[in-house]
Amino acid sequence: MGASRSNLILGLLIVAFSLLLLFVWVPLDTETGLIEKVRRQVTIGDALAPTVAGLFLLIGGTILVLFERKAPQQPTVGLSSLGFIGAVALVLIVSLFAMRYAGPALVAIANLASDTPQEYRLLRDAIPWKYTGYFLGGSAMLVGLISLVEGRIRAVTVAVAIAAVVVLIILYDLPFDDLLLPPNGDV
Amino acid sequence: MGTLDYVWLGVQAVFQGPEAFSVLGLGISITLVMILSGFLLGIAVGATPGLAGPIAMAIALPILISTFGYTPDALLPVMGFLIGVMKGATVGGAVPAILFNTPGTPDAFMTTLDGYPMTKKGQAKKALRVAHFSSVSGDTFSDIVLFVCAPFLALLVESYLDLPEKTALLILSLSFIAAVIGGSPAKGLISVGLGLLAVFIGTGEDFYPRLSMGTPQLSQGFPIATAILGILIVSAVFKELEDLWVEKRRSGKIELTSQSGDQRLHMADIRRLFPYIARSSVIGTAIGALPGIGSTLAATLGYTIGRGRYEKRKGADDPDFGEGAPEGVASTEAANSSVSGANLIPVLSLGIPGNAAAVFLILAAESIGGFNPGPSVFRFTADTVNPELVVAFGLFTSMFIANVLNWTIGGVFMRSMGVMVRVPKQFLLPIVLLLTLTAVYVQEARMAAIWFTLGFGVLGYFMRSVGISPLPFVIAFILGGKLEESARQAFSATGGDPFFLFNNPIALAFMLLSVGVIVVTARNARKAE
Repeated sequence: MGASRSNLILGLLIVAFSLLLLFVWVPLDTETGLIEKVRRQVTIGDALAPTVAGLFLLIGGTILVLFERKAPQQPTVGLSSLGFIGAVALVLIVSLFAMRYAGPALVAIANLASDTPQEYRLLRDAIPWKYTGYFLGGSAMLVGLISLVEGRIRAVTVAVAIAAVVVLIILYDLPFDDLLLPPNGDV
Repeated sequence: MGTLDYVWLGVQAVFQGPEAFSVLGLGISITLVMILSGFLLGIAVGATPGLAGPIAMAIALPILISTFGYTPDALLPVMGFLIGVMKGATVGGAVPAILFNTPGTPDAFMTTLDGYPMTKKGQAKKALRVAHFSSVSGDTFSDIVLFVCAPFLALLVESYLDLPEKTALLILSLSFIAAVIGGSPAKGLISVGLGLLAVFIGTGEDFYPRLSMGTPQLSQGFPIATAILGILIVSAVFKELEDLWVEKRRSGKIELTSQSGDQRLHMADIRRLFPYIARSSVIGTAIGALPGIGSTLAATLGYTIGRGRYEKRKGADDPDFGEGAPEGVASTEAANSSVSGANLIPVLSLGIPGNAAAVFLILAAESIGGFNPGPSVFRFTADTVNPELVVAFGLFTSMFIANVLNWTIGGVFMRSMGVMVRVPKQFLLPIVLLLTLTAVYVQEARMAAIWFTLGFGVLGYFMRSVGISPLPFVIAFILGGKLEESARQAFSATGGDPFFLFNNPIALAFMLLSVGVIVVTARNARKAE
């Protein structure tokens, strides 16, 4: 059986990325070059350090291609891994959006029924508003990830998730006045 | 101020710090309480499969910093807690390895080889006692070496190494770490390169934040907590979740064996085990003193060398290594436990972290301020008090106290932690993820930090998937700023000499070694094909 080609592919990708970094990204996206002359004094410019990083990548990629191409037991990223991390990313994105916008959304809904419209920003230190986003988003994240791994949604999962989020709120928010739970630092 | 005065001030800083409560009129300092809590938490975390010391440190750090604030007074309680976790997790890791054949920490894998067979023969308690005794002996030995060597090495570095040499030393440690972690120098270099690139984004001295592509999100750079927690913790959670997802309840039930016979550890046992413990402790300490070489290698080496000795001397009825020999457990545990103390030698004397626990100690010191691990810590000033040196001796005292706790109550607490293995991982890991993200948010107070952390988590997941160790990334991220700063200073101090790294013998030797270590390991890797 032919050896795996994952080291070769990885090495080539890294070499390509490092060349892109060295010759396109670094020169275009830094203000000073490798070495600068300021008032007749020579100093190191902002481009040198990222160039060193790029050289580490270039050397590493080259060794991978030239010397470790045929190394035994090369791990690969299969389609199922991509599917798994994609599903995890989906759960995280949905739950973090819930975390970020559930509080303001709830305030907007409450405003429909009230004569004095309120703003989430001003309520973010008031119970229950300040816990809305974290509670919903956090529970959604836990239920989503646990159910993804178990392949089914169980009542006990939901109960554990809610209990865990409550414990986290008790742990981080109740004892400290200066700590802000997500998303209350942003709104 | 003589050396002994400093030692005494450090001891006092631990025992006479702010008082937590008093027993019979005797004040118990908050640092002592924190060391004890960290230690107990560490054992529990080490005993839980899927968790490890760094996770507990990551989650506890923001809570600790909020509790104690950003003053130098916070240093000893916070770092004492982390040291407690580090030591507790080291002994705790042996529990599930021995009782259930599932190592609680990666280092404890070799412990399963003889520990679990001992359990199956009904000697679980004895195996736990052997593991505890060997682990604590190794740890104590390693700490003594640390106390003696770190100040000495630091003074040596301060008096012989100037700016160009220090720059070259940082390059050497990066290339050494790249070469030795993970068994592939190429992948180690890639990990280092990615870590350096990440830390250089958005930083620099110019008005325009470099490599930020004009975006405000990148212009402040990545906060250090997002990179470290993302790459180390979040990626590990993703990877473990994937393993669970793949295996999805394939494994069977936990079998219970009834335990019988003499479970105690006698003086005769200790006398028999002692040569194995001593050898492994020396091996572990020597390996731990080099940055980047982990306890896994120490455990493997200790076990192999222990087996060589055992085969020559064992009686006809004694079990072989791998079939439940207490000597096997002792060789492994002494070796992997003696790494942790020695691992702080490069941290305290050079500011170079060698493992994940050291990374979190540096993170704590950087967040709180007032203590910069590195050679300047050990400046023995005669007329004024060097507060950093007091903290350093305070840390040594904390390690010593943690060892005393380990010798006294550690064994009992450890043996009661067998229940932790029943905590289901599929519940635990997502909760750890949410905890980590919350910990990042309460420090940074912006959603962007959570996205950065997850981004680093996905990057770390792919790195782990293709066999690139994430540890060199983290170490490069921590050292990157220091490397650039010392290079800038060395460059201007030498009057803009572009060859400042090659002009003096020590710097040149470091540079040659950095190239040499990569070349040698790359050739060995090729031979292994």
